[in-house]
Amino acid sequence: MAAPELLSDEGYRADGRRPAELRKVRARMGVFAQADGSAYIEQGNTKALAVVYGPHEMRGSRSKALPDRALVNCQYSMATFSTGERRRRPHGDRQAGELALHLKQTFEAAILTHLYPRSQIDIYVQILQADGGNYCACVNAATLAVMDAGIPMRDYVCACSAGLAEDTPLADRSPEEAAGGPRLVLALLPASGQIALLQLSARLHQERLEAALEAAGQACRALHAVLDRVVRDRLREVTALLGD
Amino acid sequence: MLTSRMFLKRTRAGAVVKVVREHYLRDDIPCGAAACRLCPPRPAGPGLGLQAQPSGAASSLCPGPHYLLPDTNLLLHQIDILEDPVIKNVIVLQTVLQEVRNRSAPVYKRIRDVIANPEKHFYSFTNEHHRETYIQQEQGETSNDRNDRAIRVAVKWYNEHLKEIEDEEKIQVIFLTNDRTNKEKALEEGITAYTCEEYIKSLIANPDLVDRLACVSDEGKEIESGKIIFPEHIPLSKLQQGIKSGIYLQGTYRASRDNYLEATVWVHGDAEENKEIIIQGLKHLNRAVHEDIVAVELLAKDEWVAPSSVVLQDEGQNEDDIANEEEKENILKTSVNKDMLRPTGKVVGIIKRNWRPFCGMLSKSQIKEARRHLFTPADRRIPRIRIETRQADTLEGQRIIVAIDGWPRNSRYPNGHFVKNLGTAGDKETETEVLLLEHDVPHQPFSQGVLSFLPKMPWSITEQDMKYREDLRNLCVCSVDPPGCTDIDDALHCRELENGNIEVGVHIADVSHFIRPGNALDEESAKRGTTVYLCEKRIDMVPELLSSNLCSLRSNVDRLAFSCIWEMNHKAEILKTRFTKSIINSKASLTYAEAQMRIDSATMNDDITTSLRRLNKLAKILKKKRIDNGALTLSSPEVRFHMDSETHDPIDLQTKELKETNSMVEEFMLLANVSVAQKIYDEFPEFALLRKHPAPPPSNYDILVKAAKSKNLEVKTDSAKALAESLDKAESPAFPYLNTLLRILTTRCMMQAVYFCSGMDNDFHHYGLASPIYTHFTSPIRRYADIIVHRLLAVAVGADSTYPELTDKHKLADMCKNLNYRHKMAQYAQRASVAFHTQLFFKSKGVVNEDAYILFVRKNAVVVLIPKYGLEGTVFFEEKGKPTPKLDYNNEVPSLTVEDTTLHVFDKVKVNIMLDASNIQHQKIRMVLVEPKILGSDVPANLPTEISSKNEPEKKKKKLQK
Amino acid sequence: MASVVLSEPEKLYIVHGVQEDLRVDGRGCEDYRCAEVETDVVSNTSGSARVKLGHTDILVGVKAEMGTPKLEKPDEGYLEFFVDCSANATPEFEGRGGEELGTEIANTLYRVFSSESSVDLKSLCINPREHCWVLYVDVLLLECGGNLFDAISIAVKAALFNTRIPKVRVLEDEEGSKEIELSDDPYDCIRLNVDDVPCIVTLSKIGYRHVVDATLQEEACSLASLLISVTSKGALTSMKKVGKGSLDPESIFEMMETGKRVGKSLHIALQKILDEEESLGTSRQKVGFLG
Repeated sequence: MAAPELLSDEGYRADGRRPAELRKVRARMGVFAQADGSAYIEQGNTKALAVVYGPHEMRGSRSKALPDRALVNCQYSMATFSTGERRRRPHGDRQAGELALHLKQTFEAAILTHLYPRSQIDIYVQILQADGGNYCACVNAATLAVMDAGIPMRDYVCACSAGLAEDTPLADRSPEEAAGGPRLVLALLPASGQIALLQLSARLHQERLEAALEAAGQACRALHAVLDRVVRDRLREVTALLGD
Repeated sequence: MLTSRMFLKRTRAGAVVKVVREHYLRDDIPCGAAACRLCPPRPAGPGLGLQAQPSGAASSLCPGPHYLLPDTNLLLHQIDILEDPVIKNVIVLQTVLQEVRNRSAPVYKRIRDVIANPEKHFYSFTNEHHRETYIQQEQGETSNDRNDRAIRVAVKWYNEHLKEIEDEEKIQVIFLTNDRTNKEKALEEGITAYTCEEYIKSLIANPDLVDRLACVSDEGKEIESGKIIFPEHIPLSKLQQGIKSGIYLQGTYRASRDNYLEATVWVHGDAEENKEIIIQGLKHLNRAVHEDIVAVELLAKDEWVAPSSVVLQDEGQNEDDIANEEEKENILKTSVNKDMLRPTGKVVGIIKRNWRPFCGMLSKSQIKEARRHLFTPADRRIPRIRIETRQADTLEGQRIIVAIDGWPRNSRYPNGHFVKNLGTAGDKETETEVLLLEHDVPHQPFSQGVLSFLPKMPWSITEQDMKYREDLRNLCVCSVDPPGCTDIDDALHCRELENGNIEVGVHIADVSHFIRPGNALDEESAKRGTTVYLCEKRIDMVPELLSSNLCSLRSNVDRLAFSCIWEMNHKAEILKTRFTKSIINSKASLTYAEAQMRIDSATMNDDITTSLRRLNKLAKILKKKRIDNGALTLSSPEVRFHMDSETHDPIDLQTKELKETNSMVEEFMLLANVSVAQKIYDEFPEFALLRKHPAPPPSNYDILVKAAKSKNLEVKTDSAKALAESLDKAESPAFPYLNTLLRILTTRCMMQAVYFCSGMDNDFHHYGLASPIYTHFTSPIRRYADIIVHRLLAVAVGADSTYPELTDKHKLADMCKNLNYRHKMAQYAQRASVAFHTQLFFKSKGVVNEDAYILFVRKNAVVVLIPKYGLEGTVFFEEKGKPTPKLDYNNEVPSLTVEDTTLHVFDKVKVNIMLDASNIQHQKIRMVLVEPKILGSDVPANLPTEISSKNEPEKKKKKLQK
Repeated sequence: MASVVLSEPEKLYIVHGVQEDLRVDGRGCEDYRCAEVETDVVSNTSGSARVKLGHTDILVGVKAEMGTPKLEKPDEGYLEFFVDCSANATPEFEGRGGEELGTEIANTLYRVFSSESSVDLKSLCINPREHCWVLYVDVLLLECGGNLFDAISIAVKAALFNTRIPKVRVLEDEEGSKEIELSDDPYDCIRLNVDDVPCIVTLSKIGYRHVVDATLQEEACSLASLLISVTSKGALTSMKKVGKGSLDPESIFEMMETGKRVGKSLHIALQKILDEEESLGTSRQKVGFLG
């Protein structure tokens, strides 16, 4: 059996998308009542939840409190049934720890933490179904959750992955496409065009980085449009309720 | 719109995983018809799409304008027809393409090429992602049935869609399928469907296309003899199960060239035992064809046989001569020594066919007006093929190409169909074409796409080119090559340094400067892998502008080079090595003879000559070191033809002569290769492209040791060094040529040297050169491996940048596989070319008697070498229609006793040589023993050694022999 | 939020309400809150279900994996339970904070399913002693709004109902070596019979009465509760007293009776939802967390 073709000669990817097209994105804010903010996002078959607690007083040891800004605390976990082969535990492994750290850094850059000195903001993300671009889905969900919590941010944080089929950059890689080749994960603050996170795995020639980066950037901006609509719809919904 | 596909997959560990994939359905996929205004415009894609007014062959079945839509099996089997220029406007569904891709990579490649061809107007329709043509597998439906249904749904959609186009003439889509049930279903659903045969036969203007129809047994063609000859093949699923449990072994089937009733199967995997399994007899061979991947079952130990040394050729004209076959099979089963027995098995099933189109000739049926004929492939390892044609009269005596379609159980020969006529057999052009095709040598002229990446002329070196380059134009560089060489890829320089040391530089044409990774030129060169040198033709790996001009390091012009520069002391010990891209200006391009003359001449003392002398001196030291290390110097007779400048017929054969300067150049090339190998391996331990030469398994030497022993000599084979030393000692004053013969035999014991990727292997040793690491750096004009090595080295010295494929060890390993294959095939093609020219030579020369030495002894023949021509041939002692002389084969010595004459290896004999043209396809050099005289044979021993019988007609000579 | 802190007057208000069979949210003592049940929400599992009971939000995924039968039961497959109390529900569960509760719930589930009749484990056997299906039932607790056990048991039952296990064939060759072959028809699968899968009914003692489906606030007022598992036929398969208070024997019997009665109607309601969903087939629009 031949190895799967990433991009057909007719220009379609294995799942029928064109190279620059995103998978279907659906999202909702305010999924849970008890948390301060929550959101749910589906990108293709990847499903992620994010909740935000805070800003609140430091939990546990107060010595960790920062005098000038809020502490952002993150946890990344994946449901044991989320992956193809069952996981033995939802979090606590090295990968989860690393991604949590990335998340923390990404959101420390985006949240106006100086408004809440000596306090803590918890962001918990949870993958319910893993189907490629898990981390990106988490970042996007967390953005919505932080907004849902009413915590001021500099900008949206939109994340998307990109890969390469020979020379053509592929936005928002599906797991089929994830099998080989370089992978680029980009988290962007779309308004300013600043990069909050950039991660590249596998070797990629410098000349191609630009193309891949450009594709990932485009994808992030497209995602931003979707997220923005979700936020505005939610806002309308909530204000309508308040108006009653 | 979105839907999802769900399927189950088993992971490597055996777990069952449920996989859900998204499947997007679109409504922006165009139908590809030029007249369509409903669909979005066709985006850039391969080919031009379907014509508004379909041009193509007129059909009596469907006189109106129509497009064709074939199903998977039809495409797989009838690709030859579809490739014909007459067939145009064909819709290829994605469903079909995907199935083809999974089932046959070569056919997939071919259909892709056809789709890309703007003349053909083939259009690939992405039906699986079209909102209106996608269907989901239903409960209880197999995926095959689902795909058949998807194809029918697409045909229906097309027909309805095309109706909506408001044009005066409605275009119809015709479904082509050879599957009976599928066709019935299609007709039920109101789809116009024909079998391929029905449609092709209906083409009014092109009756000969019918010949190219593959004959597929599914069609229910009756085959004359109902008798089942072969055992059934076990289905694939059972085979795989059996292979897992170890009942069957999977391997590559290799038919014997000499004996059509014998084959070996090379078992895949790392098992030490049963690597090589012998298959004997028609039924055990069970319809396997050379290069197929088969499953074999081992026979019980008491049924094991030894590889037969008999030479048997399938000459039967009669197809049903089964009884005769059994008789022949018995010949094989002569009693042999117990320890000669090898694992023996039978083919129980085919895992993968590796059929390709075969060159050969038609053996016209004796029955007049017959349509069914046998086709005899040029490659003896391929069985004869039965084809159907109405143009047998035209095809007789022509070289043609035929493809195999199938091999039913009740047929002695496989069924096939005619593909292409190459030209008259025996024609030099035709024969060259045949041998290129047979050895899979890509030899089409370079396409425009490839040529477009050549530098524009007039070309000159620019500032940009000088970046990262050292200017070495002041050095006294010269090149030494064979006469008439136009692709000079190496040059040398040598000078004394102020500190008394010597600087030696090897300068190699900088081909990678011109061939940039990934473009069409690069891809084509990578595919070709090597330049192929035939006797009078060179099939270039890179276009001539590069090979003979811009890259060729000709004298007195500025050329770009990649230099490897050493600082050495006078003991030829390397003190410093550096590599740099450079620009050089060669002061002289010499031939080996010219260089030799300069070195030897006492009067010449110019710069070039003194550096040549220095180089020569160093080379001798280097060579001695190498040999002391255990490097082998082996000889094989290299033959060179003197061509008649007018007719281009060979007029004389000459074995190549080696001069000191040959070895001088060679020595520095080896040194450069080793230095570069070390450098790229240090820099890229995972991605270095290296070359290794594995040590042969000890059993390979059996024949050599035995042969030497028969002459009371000892050859030690425990190490390369021991072998080299014992070969040096193996001299016989009475028999000076013996040493050469021993070395020739040793060559035959060796393994093939191969390219490999350092990250995929851990044995790097080069046995022949006794070097721990080696690669190819010095001939980038004619070897693609060197280009890759240049690129790696360029990155290592910071003169160029990498690209993804260069640092992907799997891609590199795949490339090595192709390069090894191309090199092997190039070698075979070269040998075939020499053989063909030898035949031409003897055709004009007539019958001669020559001295020869016996190289190998077989059961019914001896292989001899004629030193004068460097020619090797087989002397048979059995002939059709003649009583077989009494033969006694002794495997121990080895020797063969014919009547009362015993022949040993290395015996000096005299043979009678002539061209046997009785089989026009396999014209061969026939050799008959003259001395010692065999009782009962009637060869005229009194023939002068150099008789000229040029004027005698061919036929008369033959009669004389009989 | 696994628990809330209430002031005395708040508690009194709740207790008095229960006494009058009128709870804070308007329910009677034997009424459940409105429950949302949806199956097949995580498509790469063998079966999944989400249950939302008030603010309690549970997601269950079932994965069928091939394993070896347990020594003492060579011809049966088995179920494994795992409960992840996610930090989603409360920051207290961050890191290993939810493990204790998770283990407690998982152990309760093992006990509830220990009864022979709950699931036909023999149907999970592929070939005795060598291969069987192991169903990993993974519970993800996303939000706590009281009455965790009942909600989880409902979700587990729904997920098991939704579970489809691929059909495999054991091929045996002459040598006796066995090979497992997967059916390539995705529709070809085993369904579990969940008729006898019990649900948990938790009865919380508040004042002199007991209530079912207590909210977090009500749980704060209850010192002890009785947890019983009931099948659809009203059979009681296990029972457990939880909480720091004590119960008198008489009220236990009373609670058991209530539990059986409530449990039976709970099963009927659940089965109705599941059957309705099933009848929609693939045309059902999945809502998941988007609704």
